[in-house]
Amino acid sequence: MRKKSLILKGFSVVVISTLLLACATAPPTPSEQNFQAPVVTLNWVEVAHYWGWWYFSKKIEPTKGTAGNYGAPLDLAFIFDVNNPNPYPVLMQNLRFTVAFEEFDLNTVGSAEMQWIPAGKTNQLRVHAMFDGRQSLLSLLVTGGFKLQEKGMGAGAGGAFKQLAVWWEGIPSVDFPIHVKEGSAVFNADDLMVVTSFSGTFPSE
Amino acid sequence: MNVRNLWFKRFVPLFAMGILVVGLFATAGAETINVGSLNDMTGATSDVGKDYALGIAEAIHYVTDNGGVNGKEIKLYQFDYGYRVPEALTKYNLFKRLKCVAVLGWGTGDTEALSPTITKDKMPYVSASYSGHLANPQKTPYNLFFATDYSTNARAAITAWFDKKWPAHKDYGKRKPRFACSYMFASPYCSAPIKAIKDQATILGFEIGPDQDVSLFAIDTKSQILALKEFKPDLVWHGNTTMSVAATVRDAYSLGLGAGHIVNNWGYDENLPRLAGEAAEGVMGAAVCAFFGEDVPLMDKVVEYAKKYNPGIPPEKRLIRTVQAWGDVLILWEALKRADKAGDLGGESILKNGFETFENFDIHLGAPPVTYTSTDHRVAGQVPIYEWKDGAFRLVERVDLKGRWPDKWANEWLGW
Repeated sequence: MRKKSLILKGFSVVVISTLLLACATAPPTPSEQNFQAPVVTLNWVEVAHYWGWWYFSKKIEPTKGTAGNYGAPLDLAFIFDVNNPNPYPVLMQNLRFTVAFEEFDLNTVGSAEMQWIPAGKTNQLRVHAMFDGRQSLLSLLVTGGFKLQEKGMGAGAGGAFKQLAVWWEGIPSVDFPIHVKEGSAVFNADDLMVVTSFSGTFPSE
Repeated sequence: MNVRNLWFKRFVPLFAMGILVVGLFATAGAETINVGSLNDMTGATSDVGKDYALGIAEAIHYVTDNGGVNGKEIKLYQFDYGYRVPEALTKYNLFKRLKCVAVLGWGTGDTEALSPTITKDKMPYVSASYSGHLANPQKTPYNLFFATDYSTNARAAITAWFDKKWPAHKDYGKRKPRFACSYMFASPYCSAPIKAIKDQATILGFEIGPDQDVSLFAIDTKSQILALKEFKPDLVWHGNTTMSVAATVRDAYSLGLGAGHIVNNWGYDENLPRLAGEAAEGVMGAAVCAFFGEDVPLMDKVVEYAKKYNPGIPPEKRLIRTVQAWGDVLILWEALKRADKAGDLGGESILKNGFETFENFDIHLGAPPVTYTSTDHRVAGQVPIYEWKDGAFRLVERVDLKGRWPDKWANEWLGW
């Protein structure tokens, strides 16, 4: 019985010592004063999947399937570095940004998947953005008409098609600037929250 | 009592109870209500759709920060569908699999395509398509929105011009005012209120001229303006979205049409004066709520959350579309709270114990108080009509259609 008691006492001493040691070496806890906004940087953009440039109107009878207005899709991947300057891990809740080809906003995409970023480390995040030739055409026509005309591409659908061809055919060699703009990312540390804004251009200017 | 017994009899049960309590609290804290959101951030309506989508997410943050749905957190599943209707249908199926209790929809495309399905599924669908025919619960009981519908807005806009502008015209009292419509004939959004506005023009005693077909993509509308000049309208109603409305107003100005202009909701925002320049002076429209940043109750929160969650977008680039998104989120929030309090978050309960119990529910934001009944989903009979004047949107009149034409409002105008 005495032996068991000694074992329990010894075990208690070890547990208490471990806890005290842990407290002494514990990293600082998040507070309003020490929570720094993580930094999001556009590292690079790559053409993830590519089908060239084409457009079929619904007047064209397809070999199989349903006729419709179809434009070539374009899948770009945006790779970001997400740096956590804090001495404790932070949770990225989501990230969102707008993509512009030259001065035309074409897409707003994001990532809603949460990820932890260790203290002082940098994670990488890949966000895909699908550009649909048909939707991009409509977006240009409804919102970009004046700008296309000012740019000398011509008015109406003719000007928009001409511009889309320049982008879709130029993307393999990235012949034009791709802007990431109006970006925001939400981070948490315990109950604290901070939003980081970011932007970038590829190729970098 | 020996040490071993003490350990097992006192600490172990306490420890187990502690675990149980912590577990229960953790479960309670994690209770969420799933809501889907379909938005257009890439397609034909992305110029306004993106701002609306940002507003939805920001408003949900506000809801969460203010207690959620009686303590339950709303989990928002927000997707861009690029204004592709097949994708809207696909995402709707995903929302059902995610057990979303309601959907925040977007435009005419998804709303019209999904209307029969959501009615069958009893899924509340709060969207930014304000077609008058969606306000009749006999046909579309689960389609809802916080705003006055396109038809009501069109009736109010022409009435405001008739009340405030026509009496100052040199021909007032000498002849009938002349009225024409400019819109894309093939667009369901643009043509939705045509029958209603012409009916109102007839009630007010206008002479109605030929409609002009203006594409949503138009940046040159001179041929339509020249055609209008033959009729010499005093007033033109514009049913398109902002860019083509700006083009038409610009051409009307440069070609000296000499008419006043009234614009439907989705063509009337902060971008109109930016695109139309001095031609926008005096253009009137139905805004359905206050413009972004306007001095009205709750706007401080709209601006605060916009700055907080999207600091990379300057406030001067934000639009009334953000405020409209808040309007739809706020009515859904209230309906969910009422349904939850009644103990049932099913679709039918959200409709009956939630929305259809609203009686002059004030969402603020410059919007009229919201009322729904089981027979009428038009939210209000009063519509604020604005005018762009001296560099700002200014309230011209709150037109009280229900008060001025109570019989027609009650018996004739619902659903078209």
